[in-house]
Amino acid sequence: MSLNYTAVGWNKQKKQYVKILWLGILAFLIVFAALQFLLHPNISVETLIIRWSAITAFILLHIILVIGPLCRLNDRYLPLLYNRRHLGVSMFLIAAIHGVFGTIQFHALGDVNPIVSIFTSNQNYLEISNFPFQILGFCALIIFFLMAISSHDFWLKNLSPKFWKAMHMLVYVAYGLIILHVATGALQYETHLIYWIILIAGFLLVASLHIVSGIKERGNLRKTYQLQEEGFYEVCSLSDLEENCGKSVFINAENIAIFKYNGKVSAVNNICKHQMGPIGEGKIIDDCITCPWHGYQYMPENGQSPPPFKEELSTYNVRLLKDKIWVNPSPLPEGTLVKAAKIDI
Amino acid sequence: MKKEKPFYVGWQEEMPKEHKSTVKKFIILIFIALPILAFSIIYAQRGFNNHQFELGKSTELTGIYHSSPVPVLEVLKTEMKPDLSNYVMLVGYGKLGAEGIMEDIEALKGDLDGKRVTLKGTMIYGDGKAVLELTKKTNSLITIHKDVIYPIVANKILSSNFDNVVGEIVDPKCYFGVMKPGEGKIHKSCATRCISGGIPPVFKTRNFQNENEYFILLGEKGEKINRQILDKIAEKVSISGRTEFLNGWNYLYINPETIKLIEE
Repeated sequence: MSLNYTAVGWNKQKKQYVKILWLGILAFLIVFAALQFLLHPNISVETLIIRWSAITAFILLHIILVIGPLCRLNDRYLPLLYNRRHLGVSMFLIAAIHGVFGTIQFHALGDVNPIVSIFTSNQNYLEISNFPFQILGFCALIIFFLMAISSHDFWLKNLSPKFWKAMHMLVYVAYGLIILHVATGALQYETHLIYWIILIAGFLLVASLHIVSGIKERGNLRKTYQLQEEGFYEVCSLSDLEENCGKSVFINAENIAIFKYNGKVSAVNNICKHQMGPIGEGKIIDDCITCPWHGYQYMPENGQSPPPFKEELSTYNVRLLKDKIWVNPSPLPEGTLVKAAKIDI
Repeated sequence: MKKEKPFYVGWQEEMPKEHKSTVKKFIILIFIALPILAFSIIYAQRGFNNHQFELGKSTELTGIYHSSPVPVLEVLKTEMKPDLSNYVMLVGYGKLGAEGIMEDIEALKGDLDGKRVTLKGTMIYGDGKAVLELTKKTNSLITIHKDVIYPIVANKILSSNFDNVVGEIVDPKCYFGVMKPGEGKIHKSCATRCISGGIPPVFKTRNFQNENEYFILLGEKGEKINRQILDKIAEKVSISGRTEFLNGWNYLYINPETIKLIEE
């Protein structure tokens, strides 16, 4: 969380993340170049750069896409998610090397503008194997560019989390474009079976992780709660909640997070104002609910971020009957103070 | 007392050791997988030819300039490497042909056809063929030698028919050295740009000895057909026409409408 604009809020973890990331990118460049010159000494430096940047960006894109579902399946991967934007921006920079270098190599210094050339040099739009694959890569690069330049909380706040999130979901469109870019481009020239195996395995890995984590989420959403009285629903027992931990419940289309702390129980909206993270999977730290994704904090009784921050969540009325927790899913205006239900000891 | 579940907060200086251990394993897995992946990709790659583009190195060649059918400089065999043709095709800078440059030079210096000239440029060569890029454009002309005037068409020999021969149309500048690979689908856009920019299209095919043969493509009356064949570049095609060997290069005179795409 940051109140004032800072380009990057560096801390020890973030520095380590970026260091390991770029060490990996550099190491891959060295290994890739060494193997190329060893096995194919006639390769040109330009081709080496184009292929290295393509493969590196492609691998990074897969890593970016598997982090989300991995975290949904096991929260110990969360450190990879917290700084994922650095991975995204790095991937864009390397993809841009590929795109710019490819455009200069194949389209510049000719009789038409290079960008015009990308769209006109191959016009077999109706043939799959001969499709102008560079257009697909160009469109994907535009999406990555928009994502990279907006990959900052300044834009998240100004564009609104909903719009920002929707815009960043375009990564799946870009991924589809990249799969087609590779399949109708490089794989039409390099025809060894291993390339298709790698492409399909990568796609299956991303797709299966998303499906499995989706099934897990769906199971949580499907749980139904019976209305008992005065608009309150019985959601769980006190013993179902660990101290300072939360639980997510979905009642009447309301996504609610319930927390047990200091002998009290409170409920707030389950969607973080930052990047729509699952608040209910968070924890009470320094008397504040802390979102598991990026550590945004809210006070449990009023859903407000601690001053000077201004984010606010809806709150809900909670009752305790014996050891059962009851919640009224009608949301109160964001930031409304609701007295926590006290646990009788 | 039940052990508290470790919780990760990104803005804290340290992460819980359980998270650290999982992330470490993930990173180690990636660092092991990447070299294996790199090796698999590179090992399975199609190889590259040994064609050369002497980028950054300027070469001066002296010889007889032939302006048609395409600009060629006929140099002494002793000036060339033993495995290279002494008929050097001239091309322009970037993805442009040499005709515009030579016409600009001729507008300043007079007709050069059949004259002995010294040109400076960047050498491109491979598979016995040589190409000179006039990198400095009109400044590529170093000297016009006044000594000998040759007849313009002195080396025309052989003529035969060519029936449904299968091959690929490439641009000679990229194919003979500038690009690797300078053929196939991934090079299609570039070849299209080069041929559209005036570089003579070359039909690459294989003879009975399984060696590459190259033919510069022209229309039936010797006219340029660069524009008419753009949609057939870098595809597997079959071509029929009449061939001729002239100024060190094979020429193939065709009706561009009869080029057939071959489905693979």
